Amino acid sequence: MKVSLFATCLTNAFYPGVDLTMAKILKYLGHSVDVPEGQACCGQIAFNSGYIDDAREVARTLIHSFERSEIVVSPSGSCIAMIHHYYPFLFEKEPVYLKKSEELIKKSYEFTQFLVDVLKKPDLGAKYPIKATYHPSCHATRLLGVDEAPYKLLEHVQGLELLPLAEAQLCCGFGGTFSVKMPKISEAMVAEKANHVLASGADLLLGIDMGCLMNIAGYLEKINKPVKTMHIIQLLGEGMKP
Amino acid sequence: MTMYNSSVDQRVDAALANNFLRQATRRATDRLRHNKYKATDELGSWEEWRNAGASIRSHVIENLDYYLQQLIQQTEKRGVQVHLAKTPEDAVAVVRDIVQKHDAKNVIKSKSMISEEIYLNHFLQADGVLSVETDLGEYIIQIAGEPPSHIIVPAMHKTRQQVADLFEPIAGHTLSSDTPTLTRFVRVRMREQFLRGDIGITGCNFAVANTGSIVMVTNEGNGRMVSTLPRVQITLMGMERIVPSFRELDVMLNLLARSATGQRLSSYTTILTPPRQSTESDGPEEFHLVILDHNRSEILGDKTFRPALNCIRCGACFNVCPVYRQIGGHAYGSVYSGPIGSVITPLLEKNWEKWGHLPFFSSLCGACSEACPVHIPLHDLLVKLRARKTISGHTPQIEQQIFKAYRYFFTHEKTLRRALRLGSRLQFPFVRNGRITGGPPPLSNWTKSRTLPMVAPKSFMQVWADLKLNRKSSE
Amino acid sequence: MTNANDFISQLASKLGRSTPTVPPPLIDFHVPQYRLSNPGERSTIFLHNWQELGGKGVIVKTEDQTVSCLKEWFGDLPLSWIKDNPQAILAWDSLPTLAETAFSTLNWPLARYTMAAPDPRERYSIAAQAELGITGADWGIALSGTIVTNSSAQRGRAVSLLPPRHLAFIEASKLRDNLSEVLEEVSALGSPPSAIEMISGPSRTSDIEMDLSIGVHGPIEVYVIVIDT
Ligand code: SF4
Repeated sequence: MKVSLFATCLTNAFYPGVDLTMAKILKYLGHSVDVPEGQACCGQIAFNSGYIDDAREVARTLIHSFERSEIVVSPSGSCIAMIHHYYPFLFEKEPVYLKKSEELIKKSYEFTQFLVDVLKKPDLGAKYPIKATYHPSCHATRLLGVDEAPYKLLEHVQGLELLPLAEAQLCCGFGGTFSVKMPKISEAMVAEKANHVLASGADLLLGIDMGCLMNIAGYLEKINKPVKTMHIIQLLGEGMKP
Repeated sequence: MTMYNSSVDQRVDAALANNFLRQATRRATDRLRHNKYKATDELGSWEEWRNAGASIRSHVIENLDYYLQQLIQQTEKRGVQVHLAKTPEDAVAVVRDIVQKHDAKNVIKSKSMISEEIYLNHFLQADGVLSVETDLGEYIIQIAGEPPSHIIVPAMHKTRQQVADLFEPIAGHTLSSDTPTLTRFVRVRMREQFLRGDIGITGCNFAVANTGSIVMVTNEGNGRMVSTLPRVQITLMGMERIVPSFRELDVMLNLLARSATGQRLSSYTTILTPPRQSTESDGPEEFHLVILDHNRSEILGDKTFRPALNCIRCGACFNVCPVYRQIGGHAYGSVYSGPIGSVITPLLEKNWEKWGHLPFFSSLCGACSEACPVHIPLHDLLVKLRARKTISGHTPQIEQQIFKAYRYFFTHEKTLRRALRLGSRLQFPFVRNGRITGGPPPLSNWTKSRTLPMVAPKSFMQVWADLKLNRKSSE
Repeated sequence: MTNANDFISQLASKLGRSTPTVPPPLIDFHVPQYRLSNPGERSTIFLHNWQELGGKGVIVKTEDQTVSCLKEWFGDLPLSWIKDNPQAILAWDSLPTLAETAFSTLNWPLARYTMAAPDPRERYSIAAQAELGITGADWGIALSGTIVTNSSAQRGRAVSLLPPRHLAFIEASKLRDNLSEVLEEVSALGSPPSAIEMISGPSRTSDIEMDLSIGVHGPIEVYVIVIDT
């Protein structure tokens, strides 16, 4: 299969290693990987802040960059959810782009969803002995319905002991611009999430959205209780190294 | 009018500093949420009930003109006096008129969110009328002079001791702060009020269009008292609170009781088809139905937000909301708080200056939409309200500039690449131990409570481009 | 106030049409209703759910059983109530025969609510001072442990409301599995009575610190006798 990566603005700028590892895993599974130029962001930052006109233009750019792709895969459930959930709304008055966004929706996946549901490859033979806990990100689970896939991948990681995270369903307080627009509420939310992470007894926090992980890890670091944090992609990448 | 003169920030600060409030909010929402799960799981087919509820509500709203007309005809036919109020002022005027006409001095009320919405108690008290809330929680906040902090448990933010302190001046002696004592005190005291009440004012959970029936659910029994004992009854309803017939009522009552408190049915479900018949021994002789619009018709005319009218006020969205969980209801500043309050308040009140913060009281996590028994896409409505606010020009200039810049860079990826490279060099003044720990606002809003990773020396797009270049040159 | 026609036509215009004259189509929905596979269990399940809510209840077949259960529940209390207040036991004008005969056997004098006083206010205060209110019921709902009563000229609504104890008699044949069956039968009545009260257990509140407390306004103790003859 020919897979195009959608690198997302956050990983592109802060965590290029996540995107690169994703590319490596897909290549390892025998797929050809490309990264279309011009892609930058799904538009969510502006959309969630109420700037839909700005969001629409960013979305249009993204649509253009993947027009010739067969499959689009991204390390963020939130960004894929933005495309699936809101692009039709953004382009409701533009039939041409409405059609283009529907095409993009049909071919775009979040990484764990793609691996488990499309490729049916929950077992990558990874090995990573550690006690970990997993934070299910809101957009991936609620908007995209990516619920089981991450757990299936984790089940197959040898040596990994997955500990339950209390009140896992609670939002970590990131919410994109919410975290700077309502910083105190956001802080209270991440504080609760961080407490649950610490109480889980895990040595590693896992997730499938770098935004949430950046938020939780950033808070834990600020209160001097750093916990190792990884995207499932990073865990798999490390675990697959010979 | 609001009970608050403080700013949004002050209210949020006060809420976050109030540990009892935050614990109480967690306790209340956790309890209600888990009760709900028990009650919905045992049905084994909750999704089917939800879907039915959503279709019923949407159908009613899309045919509200017909059903409201039918309701008016059916109730009038039986002798109910119907009053259609366009505005809160209209509704208040209707009630005041009725109270004055009967020279009523004692008004007893069971729970009505419409009464809160129109600040009825405030006006009745100004007229020298003793208007008593009889729901225990509503009574507590009435004495405290506060709006409800939760739509189902309005006084959940008060400790027993605070409640005892509020009751003592009324009791005229000290009260121990255990719940049975406090409940007994209210039972005895309210009995006098119930028997003395000239006029009863109630809310309305559902109105049945084809029979002209008013349905009320309560657990304490005060709704029954208020609708049985006084000679005159006034029922306040939002104009959207309709079901076509008893067939649909079944679904709605199941959804409401299970979602609100996890009960199969509330302790008391009362279906009134007023007024009482001449031969009957009790029940009000005179019955007024006040139907309030208050910009609901504007919402009806706006397809984007129309689903907000589907709400059955069950409170399930409050009990899953991570924002509400941290700050409780008062920080919102509005009568309706929680996710649905953040959606409908700006639409009902039409005042961005005052209520523009509400759509932002959400991380858009979607838990509310997932919980709603009638499938209202609350998080979608919140994000769409944000867009409305921006379009209406009520956002700061600087914010508009930031998003213009965002749009520019994120539609010009090559420029973005260069900007990121520049950023990775310019970030060093703010970097400690490999993390960004400070910076100008809005960045500082983040770094006050969190560290931020450094902008990578090479963005992924650059890394990939370089890899490709290397591959080509080595070929 | 706004005139109804204007009010409605405004709504219609918001919906992009003129005021409709024909009813909208019936709403198409389906919900899987709770049905008992064995209707013979209905009384037991009803009682179980009623008791879960904090009510007391029993199934009786004979007058003797009724008498002995009333004795067990109330002992000689009723006789002492009557000494202080002849109207301490307040009832609907007529109760199921089995109930009437049981009370005569017990020699507990029932005051009939509608005849207790000519003025409604006086009746309310009599009801408020009564110790026990006794009613029949029109339906019962097994799933939710609910009794349903219709108002009528011979039945006071206050009887099941104001006294601290409420005792209801219900024939087993009036029990239904779920709410929808009851509402269907209500619809079939044509015009509903002015009040239908559905009562599921005692009055309760959790308004103070989410602490469940029984009997805030309505009855504190509720009893039901299912007559299965
Ligand atoms: S929006 Fe939905 S969940 Fe929230 S109160 Fe209304 S009906 Fe209940």
